[in-house]
Amino acid sequence: MRGWTPALIGLAAIGVMAGAAVADESVVNSKHDLSSRGPGPIRATEESEVCIFCHTPHNAAPQTPLWNRANPRTHYRIYQSSTLDARIDQPSGPSKMCLSCHDGSMALGNVLSRPADEPIVMTARTIPPGSTDLTDDLSDDHPIGFRYDRAVSNADDEIRPPELISVELPLGAHGEMHCTTCHDPHNNELGDFLRISDQMAAICITCHDKDGWHRASHATSRKRTPGRSVDPTERLKYGNVTSNGCMSCHKIHSARHPERLLRARRDEDNCLNCHSGAVANFNIAADIRKRSGHYVPGRGGVHDPAERPFTMRRHVECVDCHNPHAAQPNPIGRVRGTLGQVVKGPNLHVPGVTLSGRETDDSRFLSEICFKCHGDGVARPRLQTTRQVSQTNVRLEFQVSNPSFHPVGGPRRNSDVVSLISPLRVGSTITCTDCHNSNNARAFGGSGANGPHGSLFEPLLVRNYDTDDFTPENAEAYSLCYGCHDRDSILNDESFSRHRRHIVDIRTPCSVCHDAHGVYRGQGGTNTHTNLINFDLSVVSPADSPSGRRVEYTDTGRMSGNCTLTCHGMTHVNFPYSNSSAASKSSGSSLRGLSGTRQGGTR
Amino acid sequence: MRRTAIVSVYVLIAVTAVGALALTGIEGSKHDFSNEDWAGEDACGACHTPHRSVPPKTAPLWDTSADLSRTFGTSAADGSTPGRGTTLCLRCHDGTIAPAGAAGAHRESFAFSTHPGAVSTGYATSEHPVGVEYPRTDKGFRPLTSVVASGTVTLPDGMVECVSCHDPHDEAGLYAMLVTSNARSALCLTCHKK
Repeated sequence: MRGWTPALIGLAAIGVMAGAAVADESVVNSKHDLSSRGPGPIRATEESEVCIFCHTPHNAAPQTPLWNRANPRTHYRIYQSSTLDARIDQPSGPSKMCLSCHDGSMALGNVLSRPADEPIVMTARTIPPGSTDLTDDLSDDHPIGFRYDRAVSNADDEIRPPELISVELPLGAHGEMHCTTCHDPHNNELGDFLRISDQMAAICITCHDKDGWHRASHATSRKRTPGRSVDPTERLKYGNVTSNGCMSCHKIHSARHPERLLRARRDEDNCLNCHSGAVANFNIAADIRKRSGHYVPGRGGVHDPAERPFTMRRHVECVDCHNPHAAQPNPIGRVRGTLGQVVKGPNLHVPGVTLSGRETDDSRFLSEICFKCHGDGVARPRLQTTRQVSQTNVRLEFQVSNPSFHPVGGPRRNSDVVSLISPLRVGSTITCTDCHNSNNARAFGGSGANGPHGSLFEPLLVRNYDTDDFTPENAEAYSLCYGCHDRDSILNDESFSRHRRHIVDIRTPCSVCHDAHGVYRGQGGTNTHTNLINFDLSVVSPADSPSGRRVEYTDTGRMSGNCTLTCHGMTHVNFPYSNSSAASKSSGSSLRGLSGTRQGGTR
Repeated sequence: MRRTAIVSVYVLIAVTAVGALALTGIEGSKHDFSNEDWAGEDACGACHTPHRSVPPKTAPLWDTSADLSRTFGTSAADGSTPGRGTTLCLRCHDGTIAPAGAAGAHRESFAFSTHPGAVSTGYATSEHPVGVEYPRTDKGFRPLTSVVASGTVTLPDGMVECVSCHDPHDEAGLYAMLVTSNARSALCLTCHKK
């Protein structure tokens, strides 16, 4: 007997498990079992049949499958989106059957097989408000009632052709999407009556073929999403990012941001709820609130994925620079050098504008993402410094045909630049984020996220860059410049022979003579704006010269040139300089400018 | 010979009577028309008579003009016609053909009445399919062997008919003369794998 007992227990256990498994696959004992013995809080008080709430064998509604309910309302508010290619119609067919309960208006116990005045008595008359009550507003639910055909998939390369969709997701008689495409009302094995599991986005990616998704951080990260860390209003279904898949950001029904079914009402909250240190590694929410930052909450509700760079209104959202369907982790280390410009993990598959001014859906270089807002568009920010040559279009400032430019658009072969710190050299390229970056960026020795999220230094600079006149020179004052241009080389006058005089003695900041971006060739002469010379007119003023009052720099060859201007109370008229250590210098011009020292070459 | 024949008739009557006693379910059920003038004097007489030989022989009925070749249900696209387990029921329950006594003077009104037993033929999709072969390969249905093994639902010649779910003699005395109780939709789920 003793030997039998464990065996019997084992058999009983197997029986119970088998019973449970069978129950899971059946409508019986599922939430759709509304009979008096159903498992949910909503059920009949006496009626013991299960099928009767939807089906009747005789005198059914004139629609398959032996429908036992009247039709719900005919008009619903339907889904709308600026990026929608399909035409959404009012719900029809099987969708209306679902809505005969799930729009929350019709009594659950009203069935055709019962007289209208004797409905099945239920614990709740209608579906109570909550996640299963879709209401008559379907604009915050995944669209249904559209024909999923080749026209839709042809219009959007991130939608799979309908013939490739799994047979597990049946479309309607005319290829239209219904509630029943995703849901099997009789089978709750996977939860939410889904036909394919929503874990790891499995059901969504059956139709939605998002570029870069399979390797994206949001598809692969095993970061835990405990409690309400992602959505303050509800717990996510699964415990980590990869399992939650699309649902980390999207809510398929009753989304608080209806367009594109986003979980959070404000665009940025969909990102910052996790990227605030709650789930993701770095606290971007803190970065963007710094003195100078891409403050995404600032102009909320403006961004639209269908916007065009040249006409969009000024705004910034996380998704302007990041594609949440494709973003991957940032490579650790300092992103600089010849490969620094190529788009990396966090910015994969983001639209932009190329150096030549063409829109692209998939930026190849990081700067193309920046040009989208800081280039030709009407949304570009205003200038901070009043210069000789005024240009707010950053894309033009970086053209490789310009008289001078920082090598973002391409390499520059200016042998006058002798101050570069290895591995940088003449011919290297850099990118926007080598200067514009969060001041605590990991790539620059900090502990925060890389990228221009926010900085203590304006305008969103990774290091301090004083532009105030009479700034005492020290390593900190021009820390940004000295990051690439060796301070000793500059102050030892290895290129411009008067660097020390200007920067240290007269306390003129770099920015008074140099324009950090470049000077567009359409505005600046080929020899008057070399070496990024573009004077700050709040400090430099014109000087009288034989050819009139003017502010002018003229390049006269290697490490040599002359200036006509008034600055710090001194006037240069064709005041020449040349570097004695430089191999070549033009002779004959040195004496011409001596008159420039008239008002005191020294202080 | 004649005497033998008479004895045979008496034996037959006796057997029928014993059978009727055994099928006590029909007495007092909705199919018990023994109080109706047109139905003869016993519970069987409304549907059965021992002497009539017009087809179908086994269940002689009073109106031989009924069209027994109509199809019902959506699944009968293959042109199959209902078997007797359906056509005999429809002689009354298709709503157009009814005994004068049942439909009263308004013969046609039966079709449009709200009588729960009326099967409206106007909407083929409104009725559970009958006269169709049991879907052996559809994964939404249980295997045929499982249905047969249930001992409740019968599939005459492998077909779904009225008598698959209904017992006209009401042996079990259940709602709608079902062959077994539909509590927890047990009857539906005998075939449907939902």
